[in-house]
Amino acid sequence: MSPAGDPASGGERLDAGRFARAVAIRVDAGDDPATALCAAGVDVLGLTGVGIMLLSGTRLDCVAVSDEVTGNIEALELMVGEGPCVDAFRTGIPCFDANLADDHTGTWTEWRAAVLAAGVRAAFGFPVMVANDCIGVLNCYRDTAGELSTAQVADAQVVANAAGQTIVAWQAEAPTGTLAWQLEKSGNYSVAVHQAVGRVSVQAKVKVDDAMALLRAHAFAHDTTIIDLATEVLAGRLRFDV
Amino acid sequence: MPKEREVLRALVEVADTFVDDYDVVDFLHRLATRCVAILDVDEAGVMLADPTNTLRYVASSSEQMRLVELLELQHEQGPCLDAYRDGVVSISARSEEADVLWPMFASHARDAGLASLAGVPMRLRDDRIGALNLFSRRPGGLGEEDRHVAQALADIATIGVLQARAIHDGKIVASQLQTALESRVTIEQAKGVLSEYMGISVDVAFALLRTYARAQNIKLTDAARRVVSGAVSPDVLGTIRKPRS
Repeated sequence: MSPAGDPASGGERLDAGRFARAVAIRVDAGDDPATALCAAGVDVLGLTGVGIMLLSGTRLDCVAVSDEVTGNIEALELMVGEGPCVDAFRTGIPCFDANLADDHTGTWTEWRAAVLAAGVRAAFGFPVMVANDCIGVLNCYRDTAGELSTAQVADAQVVANAAGQTIVAWQAEAPTGTLAWQLEKSGNYSVAVHQAVGRVSVQAKVKVDDAMALLRAHAFAHDTTIIDLATEVLAGRLRFDV
Repeated sequence: MPKEREVLRALVEVADTFVDDYDVVDFLHRLATRCVAILDVDEAGVMLADPTNTLRYVASSSEQMRLVELLELQHEQGPCLDAYRDGVVSISARSEEADVLWPMFASHARDAGLASLAGVPMRLRDDRIGALNLFSRRPGGLGEEDRHVAQALADIATIGVLQARAIHDGKIVASQLQTALESRVTIEQAKGVLSEYMGISVDVAFALLRTYARAQNIKLTDAARRVVSGAVSPDVLGTIRKPRS
């Protein structure tokens, strides 16, 4: 638990500058900017996966992930609408579950079962604050159970703040009314889902919010992910006609 | 020491600027009042530069001081303008000096009974944002210790102003970000609606949506919102010139 003995921090305190260098290394290695932001988080925090969700209108949307598995986990959390990340956003304080397999709290039951199946053993959500407002959440996942060290918690907050500042700086450069190009590509995880929702709303003759609910229910019932379902819908292999 | 306690209190007030509903003008008015309490001066005022680098009146310790500051701006000369321009403290210890330095403004200061005039720059590194006016009825300028305390107060004011601006700018961009993200969701949903309804690919659906937005002279997001909400039937879009696929 001592910061000095923490392998993730290597004895050196993380600051925005060191994090920026970690991001630059990932960009040099070929990651797109948004992926690099999360992958650098994995590097400096010593975790398995990192993702960023931002408030989009009235709901959270995943804008960046370190890798595909994390993207699926994020989609799960958004699908079931519960989990440490959603809670961290709602409360504005970090929310942890260091041992997902040990469900003594009775919280996030649906999400817990789904991410356990995906290999996640611990999840930690940190609010992303910009100008005193919580604009989203930094989600950290690990494939082993156990608390974060004090140093890791402090470092994750540095990453959350730096990521928020970086994303806002990207957006500040974007032409009015458009999304920063750095965030466009990373939205591919949700693009398919949103398109599928549009399709299903026509097939089932319902509003888009209800179409989303239909997709969620179907994903639950058939033990699949909403992203896989969306792919099926867009390929025309799955329909929700009434 | 009371002076130290007053400076500390001013510092604590700066911490307030890190919260949301904080009024920068009120903060600077309080700071002007505090300058009079802490320093050996009778009047204090704050001027900030606008985006065109022109100084504007912001706060003062009294109504009389406000009028003096406005005259300083009107004549475009005085200690505040010098301090802002040069980035260093500008002092005229007595009226005779002011007559030479700022001939047009000096008479107004004298009429207001102010003999000693000082301007203290508000700056953070190379970023000059404005200046403090510190005026006294007795001649003599700012003493050595007061000069240091005055600069500390100017630095406090600078941090408060820059912090408020950062929060303001951050909130604007954050809200633009949310709108842009939401807009992406709506556009993708509209692509799905159109492609399903008309049996076309999402790419063709997107081209159709763009054509419709141009024809209606509305934003793409608004066109998408109409489609998703059902405010416009996909049939209507179908009547528009067939877009290039």
